[in-house]
Amino acid sequence: MLAAGNLGNLAGLWNSDERNAVAAALDDLVPGASELGAVDYVEGLLTAFTYDPPRIWAGPSGWLELGPWEEHAWRERIAAWREVYDRVTRREHAPGDGRVLFAHACEATYGDPVYGGNHDQGGWQRINFPAPMFPPHD
Amino acid sequence: MTDCDAVVIGSGPGGATTAEVLTAAGWSVVMLEKGRNHLIDTAAPYEFRRHFTNDEIAQTRRFLLGPDPMLEPRVYRDTVGEVNNLPSTVGGGGVHADAKLPRFREEDFALRSARGAIDGALVEDWPFGYDELEPHYAAVEKSLGVAGEATNPFAAPRRDPFPMPPGDDMPFALVSGAAASRLGLHPYRAPTGVNSVDYDGRPPCVDCGYCGGYGCPIHAKGDPISALQRSLQTGRLDLRSDAYVTEIVRDGSGKKATGVRYLDLTEYPDPAVVEVTARVVVVAGGAFETPRLLLRNGLGGDNVGRYLTYHYQTFTVGIFDVDTGGERGRSVTHLHDDLMIDTPELRKVAADAGLAWVRGGTTEHGAGQHPISEALNYGRGEHHLPSMQDSALRRRLWAFTMQGEDLPQATNRVELDSSVRDAWGFPAGRVTYVPHQHELVASAYAAELHERVMKDAGATAAFSATSPRGDEPPESRHVMGTARMGTDPRVSVVSPDQHLWDVDNVYVCDSSVFVTSAGYNPTLTLAALAHRAATKLVS
Repeated sequence: MLAAGNLGNLAGLWNSDERNAVAAALDDLVPGASELGAVDYVEGLLTAFTYDPPRIWAGPSGWLELGPWEEHAWRERIAAWREVYDRVTRREHAPGDGRVLFAHACEATYGDPVYGGNHDQGGWQRINFPAPMFPPHD
Repeated sequence: MTDCDAVVIGSGPGGATTAEVLTAAGWSVVMLEKGRNHLIDTAAPYEFRRHFTNDEIAQTRRFLLGPDPMLEPRVYRDTVGEVNNLPSTVGGGGVHADAKLPRFREEDFALRSARGAIDGALVEDWPFGYDELEPHYAAVEKSLGVAGEATNPFAAPRRDPFPMPPGDDMPFALVSGAAASRLGLHPYRAPTGVNSVDYDGRPPCVDCGYCGGYGCPIHAKGDPISALQRSLQTGRLDLRSDAYVTEIVRDGSGKKATGVRYLDLTEYPDPAVVEVTARVVVVAGGAFETPRLLLRNGLGGDNVGRYLTYHYQTFTVGIFDVDTGGERGRSVTHLHDDLMIDTPELRKVAADAGLAWVRGGTTEHGAGQHPISEALNYGRGEHHLPSMQDSALRRRLWAFTMQGEDLPQATNRVELDSSVRDAWGFPAGRVTYVPHQHELVASAYAAELHERVMKDAGATAAFSATSPRGDEPPESRHVMGTARMGTDPRVSVVSPDQHLWDVDNVYVCDSSVFVTSAGYNPTLTLAALAHRAATKLVS
């Protein structure tokens, strides 16, 4: 279940077997990450451009528009990350993949829940980090 | 007939201050900002935008404030990507800074006279002294909104009180401050461009804890938002974001600028080229982008890009058994300047190292990191969660950051990379930088001293690190000196009035013009210099 304010209605990038592979890879790096929604976070990132505005930057009252060049950069970046996760779902690995996965696992676990991870602020609670005073909103 | 009196390239504290002075004097100004506008509406009534939240992902991981290194890579040794990037957004570096805004001291403008030369560096006096800049410091303190109190025993004299009283103290700064005092140092409340009371139509800070590195959700920070708003309210400022200036256009003689051309980045993939004609061109892109633009245009002479300085940062970290409470508050509320002062002990340090003198820098008493940044520092796997829960680098951390004076060396420079290009096909900037022995000696002294202070404050462990270290790019966002001001065109790029020697209607109004880096955060001084230059221009 996604917590209120999380992405919800994800584009369903992966089947359950693929999700399990991604979850295992993320949990290897940050144990418990998938339980807190790390797969949802990554899926939300990789499908950010199926939404309008794209779900790259959450603002105080909705998602912020990207400029066309920013959109270009983010589409390229996401395309490269999709290749990383394609390998993960095939249980393959290439140099540099671990750095991407670790960064995403940390972002998912300790970033704002609006991005799909850190369900119910569980990532913050387990490290005693206080919820922000000015959180972004979906 | 030109499109405007002046075109200003860059909307950070330097450009915004320049525009405020020019528009107040009746000049028409077109301001061109390469980045996006998350700050202020450009149509009346020029309301503040609300794009910023306490969001570590958007602002530290996803380049909300720009620049996106995929579009605008920079080069440092083997790094191609982020190299001490300052925000590329309306408001520039003012948006992300936690806004410590100290003035320089008298000696900082006359270092060669006061301390003498140092082999291997070109230490020079500035063309004018503190007294000349003092009224401009006062003006920009009012414009940006600075909170503080006159308790720093080493501060230069000031004619007026600070515009606002100091804000709330970070509680643990009182602990580290007391320890510093016990060891003979002189901590004081940092002058900060963060509202402590309602000021200029903006509210006081509520200590949300997301200050350094973040845009302010409520605009309590003195990023140049008020200066921009006042300029817009004159009806004489045309602020255009997404406008990447590629060319400073000159007349047939090459000695006079007639305006600029820019790419309209609201268009993709073929941005239109737009020309703006002006009587005066002001370059305020910051000490990395300004020399890059000048170099691309063959302006400014052989010294452009040279004498690049950062602040050589020495981080002394104390790990405590108690929470340091850094998750709320304004990042840094206290400083001490003792290592800027000429003392017998520092003279001995210098003599032992074979140097004529040594200066450190102002030292910030500050908190740790936000959780994603912290998490990325820890190992992966089974030890990760215990490390986060133990939180040595966040909840139990307190840090001193010394912004060490970095001596100007001709070989430290920004130049154009021969192979890496930005998304629009222009050469990326490449940094070449090696610290002088002076910086290393000052850093080593500061590290030992500050570790003792940390332990006196109750730290169970204290250790120090520097930036730059190894082949990593410098972390400092204090970039200075790449279009140096001087009286001798052979060793400077701009005149004491801050116009280029070779094209005298092109002005530089950012930290590029610094002659020396001092050991103080540069924003207030670069804004004061811009205020001075613009005031001279309109008079």
